[in-house]
Amino acid sequence: MLQFLSFSKKKIGNSLSIYIKTNTGNTLSVDLDPTWDIKNVKELVAPQLGLDPGEVKIIFAGKELGDSITISECDLGQQSTLHAIKITKKPPPVSPLIEESDEGKPLCETLNDRSFSNDDTQPPSGTKVHFFVYCPTCKGLKNGKLRVRCHFCKSGAFTVHADPQNWTDVLEPKQITGLCENGAEFCADILDNREPTFADFYFKCSEHTSLGEDDEAVPLYLIRPNLKDVPCLACADVNDLVFVFPCEGGHVTCLDCFRQYCSTRLRERQFWQHPEFGYTLACPAGCPDSFIKEIHHFRLLSENQYVQYQRFATEEFVLRSGGVLCPQPGCGMGILADPECTKITCISGCGYVFCRLCLQGYHIGECHISEDVNSTNNADCSYNVDPARAAEARWDEASKVAIKVLTKPCPKCRTPTERDGGCMHMVCTRAGCEYHWCWVCQTAWTRDCMGSHWFG
Amino acid sequence: MANIAAQRIRREFKEVIKSEEVAKCAIKVELLNDSYTELKGEITGPPDTAYEGGVFVLEIKVPETYPFNPPKVRFITKIWHPNISSVTGAICLDILKDQWAAAMTLRTVLLSLQALLSAAEPDDPQDAVVAKQFKENIEMFQMTARHWTNVYAGGPHVNKECDDKIKRLVDMGVEEHQARVALSSYNWDIERATEQIFS
Repeated sequence: MLQFLSFSKKKIGNSLSIYIKTNTGNTLSVDLDPTWDIKNVKELVAPQLGLDPGEVKIIFAGKELGDSITISECDLGQQSTLHAIKITKKPPPVSPLIEESDEGKPLCETLNDRSFSNDDTQPPSGTKVHFFVYCPTCKGLKNGKLRVRCHFCKSGAFTVHADPQNWTDVLEPKQITGLCENGAEFCADILDNREPTFADFYFKCSEHTSLGEDDEAVPLYLIRPNLKDVPCLACADVNDLVFVFPCEGGHVTCLDCFRQYCSTRLRERQFWQHPEFGYTLACPAGCPDSFIKEIHHFRLLSENQYVQYQRFATEEFVLRSGGVLCPQPGCGMGILADPECTKITCISGCGYVFCRLCLQGYHIGECHISEDVNSTNNADCSYNVDPARAAEARWDEASKVAIKVLTKPCPKCRTPTERDGGCMHMVCTRAGCEYHWCWVCQTAWTRDCMGSHWFG
Repeated sequence: MANIAAQRIRREFKEVIKSEEVAKCAIKVELLNDSYTELKGEITGPPDTAYEGGVFVLEIKVPETYPFNPPKVRFITKIWHPNISSVTGAICLDILKDQWAAAMTLRTVLLSLQALLSAAEPDDPQDAVVAKQFKENIEMFQMTARHWTNVYAGGPHVNKECDDKIKRLVDMGVEEHQARVALSSYNWDIERATEQIFS
């Protein structure tokens, strides 16, 4: 259906290779000089469509571009797509609004000013502020570009009735109305003219050549340019880029401190399994209702830490759902089994068969903790080793013994817990458990514990 | 990574030094090493309390993960208070545990501890013996706390009666602090204290 027409023209230095999509289903590939204006583009494109330049309008990022705008003003990247539409009626019902407000400039220019959302501070004029995205192609935090398409038919040949004013307008669906120019009858059929069409905002990475219209990036909207020079909550430095927590006060940390905060909490397994958002964190100042909703922000962690984050998130989800984790070293497969069943087989993992209650190999009858550290690994050796020595020198066994000697399990969730000082009043550190228990009684913490053996 | 902690403590240290509380000699901090991981804090006993006139020394250890985790603080100076262990100096204060927030600082910690001295919370005790006395016999508690402040924190109120009772036990060969703890725990009843020590 798509038809690519190659365009022969003079090669110009630093030209932009651009696709122009028409509402007849054709795509033209053209090289544009950044100093050209839109009028030049129309003159170039119109003959290809069999039209006069005056009959064509160019749409990009939700706006019809005015004739006098130059290509370099449009924030176009290599391989971006412009939309060329034949003007059907004159004037189109929405264009006066746009033209009087911002003279047909592309959307991204006008929204830049609002990247600091929900307040009235304007950046100094002339600063070009980008959005920040996690780009799955470049694998990292990148500058992003705001783009818009029709909510219903996903066509980019779409003009908005108003600029988005804040992040809600951009992130929530159906906030801003617009006009879909992708063969109007197509969307009209869906909607039956009963409701207006809506803009659907999305983001692209501005640091790699566009791989097409589906090449999207995730907006990391809590990362913002520090236009107001707010010092970091943790280190008190003023940085160019900040992470603004979604709490009422909008607490700010620099990105380094955000990473430090995440890795500290990750190491202690103190992320929170939020029923809606997933495995996430709240504002480090302890504000209520401040969980980070877009968990792609944790992509700011290093690759290794992110892998750990994903593993913990999965484990936490399994445990929350009443499942168990395979206790075999190196396995850890999550298993969701019938809650009544105590004999668990790690079917899709290592195949280990174990008892749900004591997490040791499956047995019949009561659980008892095996004291025999020589029981495993009886493979033949051609030389003699003192079995007792060998047993002492085994790393895994040493860890097991250490865990057995130094820790006690939380009476509620069985997380092995070490007491490294302080009193006998323990609070389980596993996020979501937080059970108060007594190190001596290994039951819930009571006033009796307080009275009789607070310090042991 | 630990830079954040050190940098932050450096700033907080300056904040305390410049604060008006230091000007009034109510709080004080000192660095114990160059890496900003160990500090010595001092707070004075608040006026109109049993701790008035005393100077209480605190051990402050800053974890590498500061300010995302709280500093570890305990009393070096022995103190008789329901929320502070009379044995180890461990403190039971929510902001030093699960209620810690990254926006808090050394200054707010020291001021909170000073506030804890003026308003004990006997329902959330660290020291059950002290808490029991606080709730059942507030006069006795006040007297004991004042005596401890005098002996360990340089408070002005000498209590002749207490000193005499301790001396009697010391004469029997009991270590002085052990004698003071036993007497304090048994409302200065010398017979019960003796019984406890020699049982």
